Amino acid sequence: MRTLVFIPAWNEEAALPGVIGDVRKAIPQADLLVVDDGSTDATAERAREAGALVASLPFNQGLGAALQTGYLYALRNGYDVCAHLDADGQHPAEEVARLLAEVTADRADLVIGSRYHAGAVAGSGDYRPTFSRRIGTSVFRFFLTLATRQRFTDTTSGMRAANRRVMALFSQHYSPDFAEIESLQLAVRQGLRVEEVPVRMLERAGGSSFLTPLRSAFFIFKGLVVLLVGQFRPRHVETE
Amino acid sequence: MLPFAAEAGQVHLTSQTRIVAAVLALVFMLMILELIRRDRLQERYSVIWFVAGLGMLAGAAFPGLLEVVANLMGVRNTNVALFSIVLLLLLGLALNFSVIMSRQAAQITRLAQERAIEKALAEKQGAGGNGNGASSEEALQSEEHRLEG
Repeated sequence: MRTLVFIPAWNEEAALPGVIGDVRKAIPQADLLVVDDGSTDATAERAREAGALVASLPFNQGLGAALQTGYLYALRNGYDVCAHLDADGQHPAEEVARLLAEVTADRADLVIGSRYHAGAVAGSGDYRPTFSRRIGTSVFRFFLTLATRQRFTDTTSGMRAANRRVMALFSQHYSPDFAEIESLQLAVRQGLRVEEVPVRMLERAGGSSFLTPLRSAFFIFKGLVVLLVGQFRPRHVETE
Repeated sequence: MLPFAAEAGQVHLTSQTRIVAAVLALVFMLMILELIRRDRLQERYSVIWFVAGLGMLAGAAFPGLLEVVANLMGVRNTNVALFSIVLLLLLGLALNFSVIMSRQAAQITRLAQERAIEKALAEKQGAGGNGNGASSEEALQSEEHRLEG
């Protein structure tokens, strides 16, 4: 089983080396790719120093495009399974290893690390969502569950593991603006097995969240439009 | 009052306004031609503008045409018909541009991704220490062949 772990990073020079070290320790058998999404700081250099291969997008393209780059790289280079996690240090690498184990055991095509799933125990220093994020989370949870008829608790989680069927799908179709939610809807609609696994997440180690209340409201509105439109998208035939 | 009321739906273009309109339409089409000639507008995006120019010219040459169209639309006031048609045309054009823009945004993203991946692969092969001292450029090309094969 060839395994790729990729980390989308945009201006995360502070937290990224720690994350890379974490992944190398917890998942030593995996190749490591950092997708530098047009960072203007030393993200790419820090990643190389920490021993990761770096794919630098020439300009900032958004999280969706960065993630798709990772899926495309994994597909092209014959990896059997891949996983990605956030670059800001919120995602412990040993939890990613658990997601990978699910995919490797072929219990699911796509596995999502959920911080809200029953069984995700919060300890000290662990992730505590803000008020506006909690609202957004419940709205998306409700509508995505409605749209897919499958229960999702953490729709915006950026910690995932996937096999080649998912790589083939996501490298072709991945919304650049609304990556996390639409991709789940898409995967379920294509008949892929999507599973949530409860995970621990930590408070951010560096950088700051982009969510302000106004942005959150807009984010939620956009998400609902995307979900609605997604319900009318054709079901694509698998290419691989 | 009566003749005025009877003429409410009629278009009254003096020959002067018709000439001005025709000249404007011609100038407009010449501008399009010049933009194409200077490679600032691609032919495939110019067709719609030529159609618009010809429409302007036709309206100036045959004012009766507009009345026919207004009648077909069931609009009594030809001015309203004219503005509605122009507004719908512009709406369609704007939508067309959004579609083109979306397609190009997707193409740019894919291009950026391909370049990022190719550079990463070249870097990886370079770090692998090719004994024959292949440059990263050659490594990139061999990788391309492998992908195509």
